[in-house]
Amino acid sequence: MGHIFNLAIQTYQEVSADPVPQPGGPSIWDQMGGALHNSIYRVLSFFISLLPGLLALVLAIAIFTAIGFLVSYLLRRTLTAVKFDDRMARNRAVDISSSIQDWAPSHSPTMLVARTAFWLCVVLGFVVGISAFDASYSSSTRVSTFLLPYLTHSVGAVLLLIAGNLIARFLARSVLIGAVNAQLAYARFLSLGVKWLVLVLTAAMVLDHLGIGGNIVELAFGILFGGIVLTLALAVGLGSREIVSRSLERTADRMPQRPVDGPSRPSETLRHF
Amino acid sequence: MASTSSQLETAPATGPSPNGKLLVMLTPLGAEAVGAALDNLGRAFSGQEVAVAALDASSDSMASLDRRYPNLQMLQDTPGAAPSGGWVLTAADFFNLYKTAKENESSGCVLLGPESQSLSAEAIRGLADAVAKGADLAVPRYDAGPREGLVNSALLYPVTRAIFGGRPRYPLAVDLGMSMRMAARLAAVAQKFTAMNQNDALMWPVAEAAAANFTIVEVEAGKRIFPQPESADLNTLLAHIASSLFAEVETYAAFWQRARVVPQLLRDALPVALDADTFPDVRPMLESFQLAYKNLHEIWSLVLPPNSLLALKRLSQMPWESFRMGDSLWARTVYDFILAYRLRTINRGHLLGALTPLYLAWVASHILLAHSGIDPEKHVEEVALAFETDKAYLVSRWRWPDRFNP
Repeated sequence: MGHIFNLAIQTYQEVSADPVPQPGGPSIWDQMGGALHNSIYRVLSFFISLLPGLLALVLAIAIFTAIGFLVSYLLRRTLTAVKFDDRMARNRAVDISSSIQDWAPSHSPTMLVARTAFWLCVVLGFVVGISAFDASYSSSTRVSTFLLPYLTHSVGAVLLLIAGNLIARFLARSVLIGAVNAQLAYARFLSLGVKWLVLVLTAAMVLDHLGIGGNIVELAFGILFGGIVLTLALAVGLGSREIVSRSLERTADRMPQRPVDGPSRPSETLRHF
Repeated sequence: MASTSSQLETAPATGPSPNGKLLVMLTPLGAEAVGAALDNLGRAFSGQEVAVAALDASSDSMASLDRRYPNLQMLQDTPGAAPSGGWVLTAADFFNLYKTAKENESSGCVLLGPESQSLSAEAIRGLADAVAKGADLAVPRYDAGPREGLVNSALLYPVTRAIFGGRPRYPLAVDLGMSMRMAARLAAVAQKFTAMNQNDALMWPVAEAAAANFTIVEVEAGKRIFPQPESADLNTLLAHIASSLFAEVETYAAFWQRARVVPQLLRDALPVALDADTFPDVRPMLESFQLAYKNLHEIWSLVLPPNSLLALKRLSQMPWESFRMGDSLWARTVYDFILAYRLRTINRGHLLGALTPLYLAWVASHILLAHSGIDPEKHVEEVALAFETDKAYLVSRWRWPDRFNP
């Protein structure tokens, strides 16, 4: 680090000692070398000025991760001591808690709470670190104005990406199961369509959040999204016209009194309940 | 749906009060049916003092009843929880029953559900007599047709019998006789639901009675009109009922893992007359299963072990004439779904949705067996026996789920 700093000072002194080339003075190669030295100096200076901010970012994340570990550990111990899982199981009528757990299956409520607390601390560390980083750089430099928006928006973008993937998977399964139980032959196709719709929407939102692409992303997303919807509409409208009309006729016939039948009314004489 | 207006004191009841009357409570029936139901009660309890609570009885019908059946004392009562008016007994019904019974110092209770006007006077009397003789829970055994109550035959009866050791054929019966301590226990459970405005939550009296080591008696009840749900479809209803049952299994895991259920011999099955002319078409159900096998295989593979998946693959390739789902395969499939429900292997809504095609496959197999000459009631008993035999499989997987992970 000291060597780089000395090089930067030396470069600066050389450049400032002979600011304007005189006739018969330094050649074009000397001028190019000077320009290169200047450039290296500026970039190195910029990175040196960023170092405190970066250090603050890393330190904030590390500290808050440690705090997260501690909070998570304490929560786990406390909730286990008060038999939180058993209480949740007993109060099974609380649909809200049940539906929250459904988003993170295969974990007990205690683990869910502990992990949520941990990741909240980590995210908080990111936010604090980026805020410190943001405050430590000079907004006048071009590189910083180009680089920093990506960094500061990266937390939101990652959260968007995770949420989008979860929602896409959830909706794809919901559509698949619903379509199979409705005996739709193109259930998998519908499910895939919904999944990719949500994923494309998520990708567009992430890029928009990061500020990458600008209008091109919006335009491309509009074309792609519209294309998928049109494809699905054509597939359902043309490919399944008869099925839809038969389904509508059947529904109209059953309107006055509808007994509980199987998905496609397997028989008049069956009673499931 | 209104919330509860009063808190219920659900301290353990101290047995029937010697001077108290039996309380008979009718869930809302509608103005036309309530008259017939009250007539039924009059015939069932001739010469016996009985208190009757009927929410939708008009003052005319009550005055008329007083003249004809002076032994029936009509109660004017305001329900603590708004009745859900559903097709089964719900938390609000049990809450209201105990509240009324406690206020009137009843010696026991009989709760009659929707369409109770079709229940015979003898059946009502049988429920009351069982309670009077000391039973904590009297459950009717209806004379249902071979194609009625299929969810009960496939799922509710075998699971309740194998896991909780409750023998009643209709664990989700819509009419019940209860001792005061049983009513108090059920009201305590019901209050958790009604306090959260979930008046329409399902209750499992047989499981509660078994967990409390109360006596359960089954009473022959003959034929009855089974109330049918109106608005929802099979997928929604099956998910609703299975979810409630699986949650009950999860709640009482400590009890049923300790309780030893010894597989019993097939009990006498009432012979059921089959009408060959009205043989239902099972092909749509089988098509539904085959479509599900192609599309839901990925989801099933998260829940079921490889040998069950292999058996399902063979089933999906069977011609419909020889389609048979093995009793043990069905029992283990249900047990695997119960375990996945507990472990939250996948979203619970998705899990229960993925059960519907498998249930339809069982129904198709059951109907084809019945058509081949096997008594459907005997088949239901065999299925229940398979559930009892395979209970060790559930206990093992429940205790060491990782050891058997698919």
